[in-house]
Amino acid sequence: MTMTEERLDAAFAALADPTRRAILSRLSQGDATVNELAAPFTMSLPGISKHLKVLERSGLISRGRDAQFRPCHLEVDTLEGALDWIGAQRRVWEERFDKLDAHLRALQRTSIKRPRPGRTTPAGRSGKGSGT
Amino acid sequence: MSDDTAQKELRFTRVFEAPRELVFQCMIDPDHLTHFWGPTGVRAPRERIVVDARPGGAFKTVMVNEADGGEYPTDAVYDEVRPPERLSWTEASSGMRVESDFVEVAPGRTEVRIRQYNVPEALASSDAQAGFLSSLDRFAAYLGTLA
Repeated sequence: MTMTEERLDAAFAALADPTRRAILSRLSQGDATVNELAAPFTMSLPGISKHLKVLERSGLISRGRDAQFRPCHLEVDTLEGALDWIGAQRRVWEERFDKLDAHLRALQRTSIKRPRPGRTTPAGRSGKGSGT
Repeated sequence: MSDDTAQKELRFTRVFEAPRELVFQCMIDPDHLTHFWGPTGVRAPRERIVVDARPGGAFKTVMVNEADGGEYPTDAVYDEVRPPERLSWTEASSGMRVESDFVEVAPGRTEVRIRQYNVPEALASSDAQAGFLSSLDRFAAYLGTLA
């Protein structure tokens, strides 16, 4: 949840590439070696390795110590940090729109009916919109 | 309408039961903005909202977290102000551009379409591909199904 902006930027840049996203999808099902990761792609091992380096630098994956296989592991926290950011943006607008909706209803109620004394505060809808 | 234009931004849409002029007015009038600009649990005090609704004019808000008093100021500059159909601004610190279109979908019904570009700043300067944000959204949904 709390990621430095630098880290977030690196994660976003890493996520910008479809091959890297596919690699992350594969890793979400479990750790895998470079060979296993390369299998579904028509890409050379060095090509895959380059992507893995970007992912590793961004903190989205880590790699095991085993000198021969060095299995890749998805760092879920980093990925969630990046995805949280998008979710947060969406939530802000959803909640803002909820309030605007209530405000517009209150405005139109008071302009159609006789204006009532006192303030009309839009009914605060605290119910969270069920997200994804 | 093409996929190309549909894919390079974050988009948020909502239909309101109100005439377009009123909805647009709400977005540029501090007396209205203070009622809804802060999301749940966050206030946007009226006296700290600055709106100079013309191209190059200032759009400043401060959101205050009701729980801990934390403040989130945003300084932006309007790029387009075309009542009642379009409003756009760019945030100074992040470079994020926000465009709002107001579409009358039926008499007294208005669809507001928000699009955010340049999110976050580094994306623009990195090798990020156009289309990545919406595909990232799909990716998030996909991962959600796995969790």
